[in-house]
This record gives sequence, C-alpha cells and structure tokens, in this order.
Amino acid sequence: MKKIFSYLFKENPVFVLVLGLCSVLAVTTTFERSYMMGVVVLVILVLSNLIVSLIRKIVSEEIRIPVYIIIISTLVTITELILNKYSKPLYDAFGIYLPLIVVNCVVLGRALSYASKNKVLDSIKDGFKSGLGYLVAISIIGLLRELLGNGTITIMNDISGITGYKEILHIFNNVVIPNKLFLTSGGAFILLGIVIGIINGRRSEV
Amino acid sequence: MKFIKENGPHIKNSDTTSKIMTRFLISLIPIVCFVIFKNTVLVYFFTSETLISVLHPIFMIIVGVLTSFISELLWFKLVNKTNIKTSFLELYRSFSIIPGLLLALVLPINTPLWIVAFGAFCGTIIGKMLYGGFGQNIFNPALIGYLFISVSYNALLGSPLNAYELDTLAGATPLTNLTSLNYFGTYDSIVGSYGTLLNFFSGTIPGTLGEVSKLLILIAFIYLVITKTIKWRIPTTYVTTVFVVTWIIGNSLGLGIWYPLFHILSGGLLFGAVFMATDPVTSPLTPIGQVLHGISLGLLTVVIRFLTPYPEGVMTSILFMNMLVPLFDKIGVRLRYNIKRIYIPILIYLVITILLIINIISNINNNKTNGIDDVGNKVKIIEIKKDGNKKIYNVTSKGWGTIKAEVEVVDKEIKSIIVTDKKDETQWNELEKVDYIYKVITNQKDINKLDAVSGSTFSSEAIKNIIKKVLSEELK
Repeated sequence: MKKIFSYLFKENPVFVLVLGLCSVLAVTTTFERSYMMGVVVLVILVLSNLIVSLIRKIVSEEIRIPVYIIIISTLVTITELILNKYSKPLYDAFGIYLPLIVVNCVVLGRALSYASKNKVLDSIKDGFKSGLGYLVAISIIGLLRELLGNGTITIMNDISGITGYKEILHIFNNVVIPNKLFLTSGGAFILLGIVIGIINGRRSEV
Repeated sequence: MKFIKENGPHIKNSDTTSKIMTRFLISLIPIVCFVIFKNTVLVYFFTSETLISVLHPIFMIIVGVLTSFISELLWFKLVNKTNIKTSFLELYRSFSIIPGLLLALVLPINTPLWIVAFGAFCGTIIGKMLYGGFGQNIFNPALIGYLFISVSYNALLGSPLNAYELDTLAGATPLTNLTSLNYFGTYDSIVGSYGTLLNFFSGTIPGTLGEVSKLLILIAFIYLVITKTIKWRIPTTYVTTVFVVTWIIGNSLGLGIWYPLFHILSGGLLFGAVFMATDPVTSPLTPIGQVLHGISLGLLTVVIRFLTPYPEGVMTSILFMNMLVPLFDKIGVRLRYNIKRIYIPILIYLVITILLIINIISNINNNKTNGIDDVGNKVKIIEIKKDGNKKIYNVTSKGWGTIKAEVEVVDKEIKSIIVTDKKDETQWNELEKVDYIYKVITNQKDINKLDAVSGSTFSSEAIKNIIKKVLSEELK
C-alpha cells in the first residue's frame, strides 16, 4: 500500500514533475472528462512505451525524436478516430486537447528517458506507473473543480452511449458553492497550485 | 543572505512597519466616518429604514477587518505554528487588517456580509500568506479579494445605491451611466442627474463605500505624503495621465473642462490611486519606475473605461500593473545612471497615447452616428401573431449568439417574454439568478436606466434590445 502511495504521490508526473499541464488545466471542467483524458493518456503511454522499447535497437540516436513523435501521433490518431466513432460527445468535449496528447511531455518524456533504454516488460510497467499517476492527478483536479465550480460530480454522462449508464450527482446547490471561479483556467491554476503545495508539504513529512 | 560589515556612522530611520500602518489607518478614519455619516446617519433620518439595515455598512467594515485579521492569525497558528504572543507581534507588524478594510471600502453598499468575509479571507490567504506573508506578495491582497469576489459572485454584489439615494436618484453610478451613453453626452445628461461637480467632490453621489468623498481622500493624501508614508509620484502621475487623456478626448469632441474633471472625480480613481497603487510592497521603488508605473496605470484605466464594456477600470489596472512592477524598477535603475536615454520611454508612451486617443475618438464618433440603428440591426422580428387584443411577437436578438424569444404584448404593454432558444449564451445563469427578465418587464417604460447584469452584459443587452424594438414597433 505504501509502495502504491509513493508511486502516486512521490513520482507523480503532474504534482511532482509538473509535466503535461495543458490538458490538466483545459479539459478538467467535469470529473468524467478528466478521468477519460487520464485513461486515454494511460493507454497511449503504455502502447508507446511498448513500441519504442521494441524498436530501441533499430533506431539510432540521431533520429530518435522524429521516430517517436510519429509513433505517438499514430497512436493518438487511432484513439481519436475510435473516440469519434464510438463517443462523439466526449470527442467534441476534448476538442483540440486530444491531438495535443502528441506533445504531452509525459508521453514523450517516458519514451525518451526510459523506454528507449530498457526492456519491453520494464517499459510497459514504467508507462503504466506514470500513466496511473497522471490519471490520479487529473481526476483529483477534475473532481475538485467540478465539485466547487458546478456543485455536481459527473460520474458518467458523455460516454453513456457506450456503457448505457448515466449518473450525475448533484451535491451542492446553494449560493456559495457553484463558484464560477473554479471553472475558469485561472481557478484551475490556483487549485492545482494549492494541491501541489499540500502534496509537497506532506511529501517531506512522509 | 549576505551581511556587509562597514565602518562609519549609519543613520537609522526610526520608521517601522507598525508605525506606517498606524498612519495609514489614521488617514482612513475620516473616510470611514464619512461612510457612517452618509450611509447610516443620513439614511436613518431621511428614510424609514430600520436600524439594523442602516448599520449594514458598519457591519461590512467590521466583518472585513475581523476576517482578514482572524485568517492571518489562524495561518500563523496552524501553518507556521507560532505561539499566540509571537503571532500577535507578527500581526501588528504586517498590515494585517488593511486588506479587509480596503476591501470593504471598495465594495458596493448592498453586498452581503458573507461575500465580504469570503473576499477578505481569499485576499489574505491566497493573495498574501501563500506568497510568504507581508513583504513577499506580488499582488495587492485587497484587490485579490476583490478579484475573487467579482469572478465568483458578481451577480450578488448588489447595487451601490443606499436607501436614501434610491428615493432621490434613478439609475446607476455615474460611470455606468456614462457607459450606457456611449461615453458622450451633455453636462446635464452626464453630471446633471447627480447634482454638480461639487457633489462629486464632496461625495454625495452613489458609489462604493469609501470611494465617494474625494475631499477626504485628498486630505488623506496630503497627510500621507507629509508623513512620508506613501510615494507621491504614483498617485499624481496616475491622476494627471487620466486627466490629460480624457481632456484631449473631451476637447476634440467639443466637451468642456468638466469632462476630464468628471472622469477624475467619479469612480474609484482617487481612492485606488492613493490607497492601493501606493501599497508599500507592490509598487516600484525607483523614482523613474514610479512615474512610469503611474502613467501606465492611467493609460490602462482609460483603455478599460472607454474600450471595454466595464465602466470602472481602476482595480483591474492596478492589479495588472502589479505584475509589471519588477520591470518598471529595472527600467528605473537603468535610467538612473543613463538619464540621456529617457527619451525611449517618453517616445513609446507618446506613441501609445496618441494611438489610444485616436482610437477612442473614432469609436465614440462611430457610436454617435449609428447608435440608434444598432438596435434595429441586432433584433429581427420574424412574425407577429394576433389573437384578439393580444399580440405575440416572434423575435431573434443578437447576444453572444442568437436568442430566440416570444414576446406577448397587450395594449402596447409587454406582458411576458418567453425565451425559446438561449443555447449560445454561456452566462445565462447570471440572468436567472437575479430574475432579470422580470426586472426588464417591470422597467420597460425606461429601459435605458436599467443596468446590464455584470458578467453577462451581452445577453442582458440582447434582452433589453428586444424590449426596445418591440415597443418602438408598437408605437408606430
């Protein structure tokens, strides 16, 4: 348990390395979009680490980055097409931030620094670890933002076309809590800063 | 930290932050007294309000002061874990009650108390303590509180008129009135409904709590400058810039000297310039930097007042310019030893000012020529259904997107508006919070006097335009 906790909070790509903030700030207006973004990044991260690790002996040092970019963008395009086919509302909600996963520092960073030097199984494990950290971080931000900014928690709405299950919890509806501030990107920044501050404070204690 | 050891007599100033804070508070006492006089004593004797409701402004000030004090105390206690005695010593040094006090003074009179508390809390904790406490903050804490309030609960802020003014005056603050007139009008239409410019100077006009009495602010300014508490260059250059720019604009539109004076005396310009732009932590230290800071503040205020839908631009420009303070200081240090190059900033500011003035004048002239046809272009009547003496207009109006609505008219009077399509209006819930459509229908006779809902100006203008169009159609 302690090991998982340390994975999630001591080596978290968002809270500790402060990478991949673009999507963390942009798509986290509802909880559902946040965790779906996290899942998409997790899948792409695992697959890209797998492929990069497989071809690590063929690709020479000089052309590494273009090759990895092509691999990642292929994966992202496939995901994009799948989402467009099966879950149009989610695809519309993500908008430009879905193609932008290509330049997400977490994905390229793991490919360059880990997968290009290590064995296949280790690379998959590493990708899963980083992706899970990203998923947890983006879900926390999304949960807090939606709860404070809109007073609701969307557990499943956009993807209910696939799962056939729809659930939006209405938690707060008074004068104080649907606070528009947290739906703006400025509010997201403040929230992210406070969460990072709390986690850094706890980290030095543990 | 680097310690420098030197010989020689060092002359020490006996000023401490706690003394500066005391002088700052002394200068604010007359303003607080005036708030109590204008909003409590006058209202109590001239209207039939109850005692509790007229005491509201005093409660606002008390709540603001207490909240910022207690939240800072709690921060010291819970986060820094100091004991009570050192915390109080720290609080005495760190301007702890100023953010809450200034915040209460820049809010309109009918603001609910919990909003004041929210703003003072956010200002103190997020604007000050999270940055590392007094001396480390880059933004003015009171303005951070104001920002949080205006982003989160703009619709709940309430009107700036007290009960006495509600009886005698119609409409809004002078600056909102000016905005709705498209920045152009005669002396009577802009100043006349509030008395004369002397009323503006003495403070018997509607406005936020502390900003109205310019006389007392000037006295406070003189006191603070004589005791060397604030930097005199920032307020003077700030106000002079606004005066010069608006004087040129007014002059080229054929308006007299009262136009720039109106701009200086209305709104929170003097209050912000004296008490907020000169905050000891968040303003430049070098003399040239202070002058540049003041000029930039003035220009930005003019931009916000004339070129955006927001009537008041003082707080926003101070908050924005807080970010550029290190830059102004850097320029100030460079120019101090190379004074010949001062022509570079002068040239830049001159070009910016000229372009700004040309832009504003052409904007006002455009509005002047096609101001009336504007409503006709934005609202389109699709069909009119007649049913006895009842008429139903099917109209579209341009807000952010397009609003579709059905308007029911009986005997040349609008009975109801049913909005059928509003999916492009992102801030529609702001209108629903204040029940704006009901307000519009009850005020249909003088619709121009009704304020737009701040935070959702386009949508509320669209609704107002529907009323104007339908009524003018009826009167044909």
